Amino acid sequence: MQAQKIQQLFVRYKILALLIAVALIWVFFHVKTESAFITPGNLSNLFRQMAITGMLACGMVFIIIAGEIDLSVGSQLGLLGGVVAILTVNLGWGTWPSIGAVLLLGLVIGAFNGFVVTKMRVPSFIVGLGGMLAFRGIVLYVTGSSTIAPAPDDLVQLGQGFVPPMLSRWIGALIFLAMIGLTVRRRVRRSKLGLHQVALWMDVGRLVLIGAVIFGFIRMLNDANGIPIPVMILLALLAVFTYVSTQTVFGRHIYAVGGNMEATRLSGVNVARVKLVVFALMGLMCAFAGIITVARTGSGSPSAGTGGELDAISACFIGGTSMRGGSGTVYGALIGALVMASLDSGMQLMDVDNSWQMIIKGVILVLAVWVDVLSGSNRNA
Amino acid sequence: MSEYLFEMRDIVKEFSGVRALNGINLAVRPGECVGLCGENGAGKSTLMKVLSGVYPYGTWSGEILFDGKPLKAHSVRDSEAAGIVIIHQELMLVPQLSVAENIFLGNEIRKFGGVMDYDAMYAKADALLARLKLKDVNVAAPVMNYGGGYQQLFEIAKALAKNARLLILDEPSSSLTSSETDTLLSIIEDLKRDGVACVYISHKLEEVARVCDTVTVIRDGKHIVTKPMSEMTTHSIITAMVGRDIENLFPKVEHEIGEVIFEARHVTCWDVTNPNRKRVDDISFEVRRGEILGIAGLVGAGRTELVSAIFGAYPGRYEAELVLEGKPLKVKTPEQAIKAGLSLVPEDRKRQGIVPLLGVGDNITLATLSHYAHAGTIDRQAELQTVDAEIKRLRVKTASPELAIMGLSGGNQQKAVLTKMLLPNPKVLILDEPTRGVDVGSKYDIYKLMFELATKGVAIIMVSSEMPEVLGVSDRVLVVGEGRLRGNFQNVGLTQEQVLAAAISHAAEGPAHAA
Repeated sequence: MQAQKIQQLFVRYKILALLIAVALIWVFFHVKTESAFITPGNLSNLFRQMAITGMLACGMVFIIIAGEIDLSVGSQLGLLGGVVAILTVNLGWGTWPSIGAVLLLGLVIGAFNGFVVTKMRVPSFIVGLGGMLAFRGIVLYVTGSSTIAPAPDDLVQLGQGFVPPMLSRWIGALIFLAMIGLTVRRRVRRSKLGLHQVALWMDVGRLVLIGAVIFGFIRMLNDANGIPIPVMILLALLAVFTYVSTQTVFGRHIYAVGGNMEATRLSGVNVARVKLVVFALMGLMCAFAGIITVARTGSGSPSAGTGGELDAISACFIGGTSMRGGSGTVYGALIGALVMASLDSGMQLMDVDNSWQMIIKGVILVLAVWVDVLSGSNRNA
Repeated sequence: MSEYLFEMRDIVKEFSGVRALNGINLAVRPGECVGLCGENGAGKSTLMKVLSGVYPYGTWSGEILFDGKPLKAHSVRDSEAAGIVIIHQELMLVPQLSVAENIFLGNEIRKFGGVMDYDAMYAKADALLARLKLKDVNVAAPVMNYGGGYQQLFEIAKALAKNARLLILDEPSSSLTSSETDTLLSIIEDLKRDGVACVYISHKLEEVARVCDTVTVIRDGKHIVTKPMSEMTTHSIITAMVGRDIENLFPKVEHEIGEVIFEARHVTCWDVTNPNRKRVDDISFEVRRGEILGIAGLVGAGRTELVSAIFGAYPGRYEAELVLEGKPLKVKTPEQAIKAGLSLVPEDRKRQGIVPLLGVGDNITLATLSHYAHAGTIDRQAELQTVDAEIKRLRVKTASPELAIMGLSGGNQQKAVLTKMLLPNPKVLILDEPTRGVDVGSKYDIYKLMFELATKGVAIIMVSSEMPEVLGVSDRVLVVGEGRLRGNFQNVGLTQEQVLAAAISHAAEGPAHAA
């Protein structure tokens, strides 16, 4: 009975199991690397590495929840990164107009993919496969297969810079206050409408925990140089995507479409539009990831983002997204990305051979999904 | 009294502390057919899973005797080897494979090296089908060429190919027309004469009364009664199933019928795969405020196509002129239909009704989510308030509105789907088989709700294959046969025979015809 209770706890709070897994991985590498892993400097690097996969995973988790897949995101990243490099380096556009144009282009490319999937009814797997080739081909064509460098300083700053420590503290404090405000508002509203109320200690406990995580995170990274800008962008995206998935009509419709498209259509939901927007958002995320990739490396490489789709998809599945659609969370996918990034970073520190890195990551992906299947949480009706 | 072929004694099965089965007894003699009755959620499916080895020996307590010897099945294969075969409600055939390949699936006749012996399989399949009085079947043709009635019989042939001595039929007639059901029942009677024992699970008590020798009723996982059919009536079975005396299955309430509110003219639907074939051929009808209009007909007559076209949900090409409250109505998608004031509760709950992983509450508000939202953000508290009220009003049994709807019984799922489509406040409510696979208690609640809505002036169009339901609930009955309107009767002194006669007046008789 006890074991069953623990299992139920994990099924309900999948995130708990994932966080424990991350902690175990960190402790393992920390011991193995003679205390070089859990240091502000290394973790700062790790989070920065994770940011790009994380951005793709944000978009991908919606795609998978909606019951689709997009294999072209790595090539989309390469193309959009290439465009931002061409605009700033070759054509001499300003950094911000270039970023705006590329974000818009990402939306358009994503919407185009969505159009082919929903209106022309080509399975998304095929659209992704075709896009993977075609978009990569376009990158090679527009860049002439050569690296475009150097990116302007203000663009590079976006990828390599840090948020000033004081500003991070202020942002953290604002978020914390907002969480308190939302919790209080919910309690007031619930008592006014006579709805079931969560126990007070649970709400307080939750807030204390959130506060500890926010300020612990800021403090740790401020001990290095501060929060890397890409990480701050990723956290903002996490907030936006979580809000969209849990609090908005559109978010609920994504889960409904992935859970049972026919029932959702008969409930009067425009399922094609939901999917189209999900694909457009994926394109937008590819633009974010592409821009940050160029900013980090200071150059637009025609091979940027190769294999990025696999990292993003793995992150979603490790994070507990159901392969059949209809369930999954954004924060789960980001923790999945954190798992992948931690493995990368730890094995690099340990100087593990690249061949072994790939083998281990592959095995971990399959293992993680197997554990998920075992726990029964991925069982659909 | 002959010896029992099969006996289950004191079966107890628990799921994490909840007793789903609590001391069930069931016994069958050779050549006997036992009817197993109970509401949805009473434990019938759990019992069948224990019986057929889905829940292996040791995960439940009690004992099973087969041929007087204890049966310890660890898997479905073990129980099939002993001669117990279950035929599920949803047919388990592979549509693309041939009839013979399906009959011998997992049980193929092989030559050396695993090569299939098609000649032997075709010959034996022919022999098996002849035993079921099916003579015009090409056993080398894909199963999907044949209709539901044939497919049900293929399942039985498949069971016989495994030398079944105990056949368990779970709601075998749920997708059959009445003439197909007739054929099925007479075949079961033949099998009984050959000494095959059956357990017949059905909500349709007339069928149980016709084919079963003994009836066992279970309720809430407990054994209630086992008696020879001759000592039971449908009324006493229902009383045992529900645990209370339901005086009148149809709680008819007098309601006023007003002016014509909705008209459908010249509805025509073409087959999705065969553009030359009309599934619905120029049907026109109207419905009045507060009127319950029943649409009767055989399965496949085109009733579902008719109502989905009206709702803008028909997948193929169709034409329809609609008039709502005297104004012409343009409806191309369900979204537009709901906005205009039409609601449809679809026939296939699992495929078209529920989103299984979403919570009961999320399912209930799926069609009206924007009502609780400001600028795209859901006001969860307002949503929850509506959900709580609706769950109470319709007596949906769920531990919490956040629970995934797939955990609910069929009747409660149906109530949730109904609620979902009522929340947009439709002027015209279309119900397609509203009580299919729903237990007696929930049926009663659904009928009560329909009369309540009619009293408030909602026009209700109900498609149903259950004749007593059509006659018990409707004010007026339309009969559809082969895509055409075959009759339009005021429901005053109307009999099942009249409706059936209209339904088959031009239709080809016999078991389902090849599609």
